[in-house]
Amino acid sequence: MLVFTLRRLSLFIFTMLLLTLLSFSLNFLFPGETIINLTGAINATPSQLIELNDAYQTHRNIFWQYITYLSHIINGDLGLSMASQSDISTEIVTLLPATIELSLVALFIAMFIGIPLGFLAAIKHNKFTDNLILSLSMLGYSIPVFWLGLLAILTFSISLGWFPSAGQISLLFEIKSVTGIQFIDILLSDSPYKWQAFIDATAHIILPACVIAVAPATIFIRLARTSMIEVLETSYIRAASAKGLTFQQIIFRHAIRNSLIKIIRHVGLQFANLVTIAMVTEVIFSWPGIGRWLIESIYQRDYTAIESGLLVLSCFIFIVHILTDFIYAALNPLARGNKYGAR
Amino acid sequence: MNLLDIRNLSIELIHDEQNILAVDKVSLSMKEGEVRGLVGESGSGKSLLAQALVGVLDDKWHVHADRFHWRGIDLLRLSIEERKALLSRDIAMIFQEPMACLDPTTAIGEQLTEAIDSGQLSGFFWQRKQQRQAAAIKLLHKVGIKNHRSCLASYPHQLTEALCQRVMIAMALARRPILLIADEPTAAMENTNEGQIFRLLASLNQLKNMSILLISHDLENITYWTNTITVMYSGQFVEAGTTTQIFSKPLHPYTRALVDSSPSANLHLPAKSRLKTLPGSIPLLQHLPIGCRLGPRCPRAQQACVKAPSVTNFHGHKVSCHFPLTPLKSPPKKIIKGAC
Repeated sequence: MLVFTLRRLSLFIFTMLLLTLLSFSLNFLFPGETIINLTGAINATPSQLIELNDAYQTHRNIFWQYITYLSHIINGDLGLSMASQSDISTEIVTLLPATIELSLVALFIAMFIGIPLGFLAAIKHNKFTDNLILSLSMLGYSIPVFWLGLLAILTFSISLGWFPSAGQISLLFEIKSVTGIQFIDILLSDSPYKWQAFIDATAHIILPACVIAVAPATIFIRLARTSMIEVLETSYIRAASAKGLTFQQIIFRHAIRNSLIKIIRHVGLQFANLVTIAMVTEVIFSWPGIGRWLIESIYQRDYTAIESGLLVLSCFIFIVHILTDFIYAALNPLARGNKYGAR
Repeated sequence: MNLLDIRNLSIELIHDEQNILAVDKVSLSMKEGEVRGLVGESGSGKSLLAQALVGVLDDKWHVHADRFHWRGIDLLRLSIEERKALLSRDIAMIFQEPMACLDPTTAIGEQLTEAIDSGQLSGFFWQRKQQRQAAAIKLLHKVGIKNHRSCLASYPHQLTEALCQRVMIAMALARRPILLIADEPTAAMENTNEGQIFRLLASLNQLKNMSILLISHDLENITYWTNTITVMYSGQFVEAGTTTQIFSKPLHPYTRALVDSSPSANLHLPAKSRLKTLPGSIPLLQHLPIGCRLGPRCPRAQQACVKAPSVTNFHGHKVSCHFPLTPLKSPPKKIIKGAC
């Protein structure tokens, strides 16, 4: 297990190195001066520029420039936003948790709805239920997310008035930011209206999270269905039924775990897709997350913000990917332990 | 009384255009404590027959029989659930490729304990787990695995094929079956392991009076372990009798060819000459010949063979052929006029 962890960690480090290399090279590719692209200091005086050049060691060769760039990133210095001249790292620290919250909630909704539905479709293979679930998933997959988001706002917030249409929480509640993740902050706060705030935040997150979850959920339905059908045809399922286990026992003890193994790796892959959908949805629902911020900075040609946003988002996606790998290893005894007949 | 008595069991593959009759009217009967071999080339439907007996075929196969008696109980009159419950209590099955038949993500211990019927356990529910564990260890000892602790904790991919097959046998024994169906239990196994598995099955037969239906494509190899043998070809019943009958006096041309094709029957052959075999190969399921399916390959085939022969019984030696090799009585004369 230690070797497995070390392998994942080294993969993480090397991928991050490549990503920083990419974002570093973007400084040269974007129009404008490199040092200004790096720092975002568009209004710097000549003396400040000299200081910045010194800090980023522009007089030395490109390798040392990259090393100093790396050390700046590791120290949490991502430069200033070109548009607002505020520190990017503090902005990201306030914005990223909202996106993490939204995308994780959406991922869980997609998994808890998609995977059981897919299993159900596989168990009722070639029957009415199967066809119904499949056609629903086809429908859900083909709906564009911005249209679905607007439609959801129209029906559920304007016509029916069940859920609020925008924002993360009602402005009435004052929650001190401790961890950045709103739900945890609410639970940690000692406000007398803690539970009202919690309910309000839940109502705010339901609509955008569901809109994000639709497309991944349909993919999970298909993945779960195919993997369950495959597993149900294997000889160990047949052997288990010859052993005298009931169908329910077979499904719950053997089939689900084996088909989850096949799905769980795709969950990591689908997460990148989900974050992209979340960025669009954040704009529609005015969710104060990093996706909306990133799209705005693209509009404003805020190069420093684009670079750092790219770095941070891909880092987040990669961490989730590694986490799913760990879940995969926990479920699958073949993935952990020695390979290649090492013993 | 027969333990198992099946008459005219057919298995059909449900297909879009045309249903395929994969097993055509096969009869099989077994006595208590008997070891019966079920022999045939691969693709002759013997595994299908075994899986139909245990009831693990999926929906695309359609099974029907004229008679299906288990220890005097007419199973055809029972509902599907009752039949399944009765059969899974009394009949156990082990498969070829034992490693593929064990759930790769579950430890052996868990898979073995879940096979133990809770009806065998006494005591309160908090004692059940320990009792199951103890029963699992006992089962492993029965099949000759001494190192039970590491075996229970390991996963199927960590064990060898032979060990996996022993575990499968232990699972099959968990329900104390009366009949054990062994579907090529030693396929893809080395000779020493093969011998171990067969010896284990033989000792179970002798000590526990457990009947065994041993399925194999290798006629020569299983003669040592069986009392009686049934031969199948391409889903049809060929011949059944005691092992000596089948070996020394085969009545069916196919059995004769099967016996002749083994190297030990051809010891007198000069070196590097060809073994005696039937021309051609077993027909595909999509292109089954009508009548006796051996027809196109049979050296004794005549016009009558376009109709499937009925089973003739010569003192317990049953054969399904129009022109058996050494008939004890006068051969049945059935000449079909105008058959084409």
